[in-house]
Amino acid sequence: MKRAILAGFTVLMTAGAAAAQDAASRAIDLERRGDLAGAAAAWRGLLSTSPTDLAALLGLERALTPLGRLAEMTEMVQAAARREPSAGVLGIAVRVWTAARQPDSARAAVERWATLEPGSELPFQEWGIAAYGARDRTSAKAAYLLGRQRLGRPDAMAAELGQLAVLEGDYSTAAREWVGAIRRVPGYRAAAVSVLSQANPAGRSALLRELEGMADLTAERLAASLQVRWGEPLGGVRRLVAALPPRGREAIDALQEALDELRGPASRDLLTARAIALEQLALRTGGPERARIRLDAAQAYADGGDQTAARRMLAVLAGDSAATPLMAATATSTLVGVLVDEGGVEEADRRFRELAPLLGAEDRQRLAIRLAQGWVRTGRLGRADSLLAADSSMEAQAVRGRVALYRGDLATARAQLREAGPFTGERAAATERISVLGLLQVLDADSLPELGAALFRLEQGDSAGAAAGLERLAPTLSADHGGAELLLLAGKLRGALGRTADAERLLRGAVAMGVPATSPAAEFALADLLVRTGRKTLAIPALEHLLVTWPTSAVVPQARRLLDVARGAVPAT
Amino acid sequence: MRRRTFLRAGASGIFGGWAAGRLDGRPSRRSTWLLIPMDDTQSDHLKAYGVTFRVLERGGKAEWFLNYRNGSFLLPADTTTQRDAAVAGVSAALLDDGQVAEIRGELAQGNMDAVPLEKAPKVAVYVSPNATPWDDAVTMALQYAGISFDKVWDAEVIGQGLKTYDWLHLHHEDFTGQYSKFYLTYAGAPWLQDMVDRNQRMARQLGFANVPAEKKAVARTIAAFVDRGGFLFAMCTATETLDLALASEGVDIAASFADGTPMDPAAADKMHWEKALAFQKARLELSPAIAVYSEIDGHQVNSPDRRQPLGAFTLFNFSAKIDPVATMLVQSHRQVIPDFYGMTTSFMRETLKPGVTVLADEAGAPWVKYIHGERGQGTWTFLGGHDPEDPQHQVGDAPTDLSTHPHSPGYRLILNNVLFPAAKKKELKT
Repeated sequence: MKRAILAGFTVLMTAGAAAAQDAASRAIDLERRGDLAGAAAAWRGLLSTSPTDLAALLGLERALTPLGRLAEMTEMVQAAARREPSAGVLGIAVRVWTAARQPDSARAAVERWATLEPGSELPFQEWGIAAYGARDRTSAKAAYLLGRQRLGRPDAMAAELGQLAVLEGDYSTAAREWVGAIRRVPGYRAAAVSVLSQANPAGRSALLRELEGMADLTAERLAASLQVRWGEPLGGVRRLVAALPPRGREAIDALQEALDELRGPASRDLLTARAIALEQLALRTGGPERARIRLDAAQAYADGGDQTAARRMLAVLAGDSAATPLMAATATSTLVGVLVDEGGVEEADRRFRELAPLLGAEDRQRLAIRLAQGWVRTGRLGRADSLLAADSSMEAQAVRGRVALYRGDLATARAQLREAGPFTGERAAATERISVLGLLQVLDADSLPELGAALFRLEQGDSAGAAAGLERLAPTLSADHGGAELLLLAGKLRGALGRTADAERLLRGAVAMGVPATSPAAEFALADLLVRTGRKTLAIPALEHLLVTWPTSAVVPQARRLLDVARGAVPAT
Repeated sequence: MRRRTFLRAGASGIFGGWAAGRLDGRPSRRSTWLLIPMDDTQSDHLKAYGVTFRVLERGGKAEWFLNYRNGSFLLPADTTTQRDAAVAGVSAALLDDGQVAEIRGELAQGNMDAVPLEKAPKVAVYVSPNATPWDDAVTMALQYAGISFDKVWDAEVIGQGLKTYDWLHLHHEDFTGQYSKFYLTYAGAPWLQDMVDRNQRMARQLGFANVPAEKKAVARTIAAFVDRGGFLFAMCTATETLDLALASEGVDIAASFADGTPMDPAAADKMHWEKALAFQKARLELSPAIAVYSEIDGHQVNSPDRRQPLGAFTLFNFSAKIDPVATMLVQSHRQVIPDFYGMTTSFMRETLKPGVTVLADEAGAPWVKYIHGERGQGTWTFLGGHDPEDPQHQVGDAPTDLSTHPHSPGYRLILNNVLFPAAKKKELKT
């Protein structure tokens, strides 16, 4: 009899477990199909027989949350927590009470959970996240502060409190909390930079002040990263360098991290900041790696326009015993480029001739073109010609075209610049070449030394001289064969020099000539000048005149946009 | 102008009247006209409304060809108008009388009609003085199209300043006086502090005990403006909160941060929905921490548990000859338009009063997007959502540059509303 009862009980138990399994499968299937109300009913059914079944409680929570009915679980979760107060059940209880807007009950569940897991941040984090999810920042903050108090650690919940402080616009607190969080777990650095970089411009100075006040490497590293994110790479790197210890792993890590952050679109400041970081890294590195880093630093200084620093780095590299012959050649090649940019073309030429046999054909050609450009800038057009005599590349053709232009040989310049085409060389140079070609195409003459001389002055940076030359030449040409175009160019140059009245006079002259293409462009340039000098009311009729008189001009879309800006019809971006 | 006296005037008669010399002084047979097409050939749909509005402003007359090439405009082809269209970049075609007559023949045969536009409405936008000019879709649309308007706020409204205007726009103002219920979520944010300070100062200046009381008075004055024959257009949360403010006379629906006392937990049962314009029998959101007011809004964007995803809404087709008002309000070159969030994105069907005309809805959804109705001698139109070209609009987002959205069908709906009061009135069937 006893055996029979036991057997019957076992059968019943097995059948019960199988039924529960079936009910759970059905509930999960309903969830998968998106029938959340049906799934909730199925989970409820299961809980009526097994009120502490954690999987069923979690399932019901999953189903009710998107329906916005989580508060309906309060009784069930209360019963489960009474019978079996495990961490899992209490976690659900915290979320349900928070959704039901019953903070006292949520807090009681957190306290019970914290007793089960002393020293754990989890109960407080769970409460804070649930309150934050319900847009209740006050309760979220209270949860984290309670956690800090209970755990007795001033840096507990620092990241969470830092995040809340940012949302509240309290950047001083945010800075303190995040530095605390990083000191405890360095892995928080990336999150700290990402969150704190969202500070609005007004809050940024408060944040930096607070970090500065802490006067330690963690805070300074954070401040440096933020400055880089906010578009001040030079300030950021200088701040970091000032705070770095002379040696040690932490300094190297900080510099490598800074270099990773300095990978945005290349600007002069960003390149110089990279160069400074690389120079500092080289000081803390040994062997051939140090020479390579110095070479990179020299190149970055040169690209950033700091030729003196580039030359200093290259000189150090020359005396570096660890540098390989290839590195030395690359360094010399960089030095030639630096010297050309600095105007030391004679010395650059000498070094180039020494180095040429060691260079590959491509490097030699590239350097020769750069050197030729240097000779062009100094006015030694013959030296440029001879340097490129054997070069049939498009880049060389472009330089030869400019040489011809500055000599006033417009026919040759026209042919060679056209041959160089719109894609040769760097984008800026190609764009400039096309605009020069546009000018040459409207000119009838094959030779105009005065134009060559004016454009050569422009090449040398003498914009005022160039504008004066163009202004003198313009009346000697007919309006539609260069007269209007030269006035337009002269007007733009005067405008860039801040000679607004002269610019206006020249541009109005070009407009009055009524030459298709040139006159609308001049009227647009005039309107742009008026807007830039705060005279929008004068710009509006000019733009309206342009749009009505030249409706098919290429500048119409820009003109319409400028008109919207001048009228305040669109935000000025 | 009174809505009910929308006299049906023979389109050809009115047209002939203009051509007789009132517009350009030339004899009718030789008159030429400017057709502003509003289909996909139009190069700037939004500025086309501005060109038409300015014709009316100059004392000229125009016609709105409902459902003809997606709601085209017929304007006098005088030099000023042609120049204006050219400057604005608005596509236009010159027509002679014969061509116009052909179009009229087409209008007569299909679901189309010609509605005369006679007088530029005097436009007011209700906006607080500290509001950024780029944070209100209607202000942006008006500025982009070049339609002149005045700004009014509480002092002007309470001081009966609305009497001089034909058309009033409300955007995301919270007429329950709870600062968009951002008080807790954005506590400490300078812009919120500024909003609170300004509203409290204004309430004191106007002699009210608190901001909710003052906003209720503003809402009542706006409702009276509609009663007197005004045209009201509201978007975003102004739609819902205006009705909540009107219906909550004598009921505390404001959280304690706004008026010092908590919201009446039984407020929903005490509401006077008969005073509201569009909605009825809605349950109210009791939590002061959730930036949601009631169940009127279908999308509940600020309630993480209830937030609904965005879909697309479809404009209804109306009979141009029988329902010209509704037809004017839905003129567009796109019938299905992507939805966009606002604090109030849409309106639950079950909360609409009987008699409300639904102009657009989302197929299969329990909410509608665009509604219209009458009150007294005037009309109101509500469009849910904040910015048709910024679907996820968040506080602090970059402003929308309409020169990059010249064909925006959502913004066209706004501008339909601006021109609608210019229409010569005839008997409404809607």
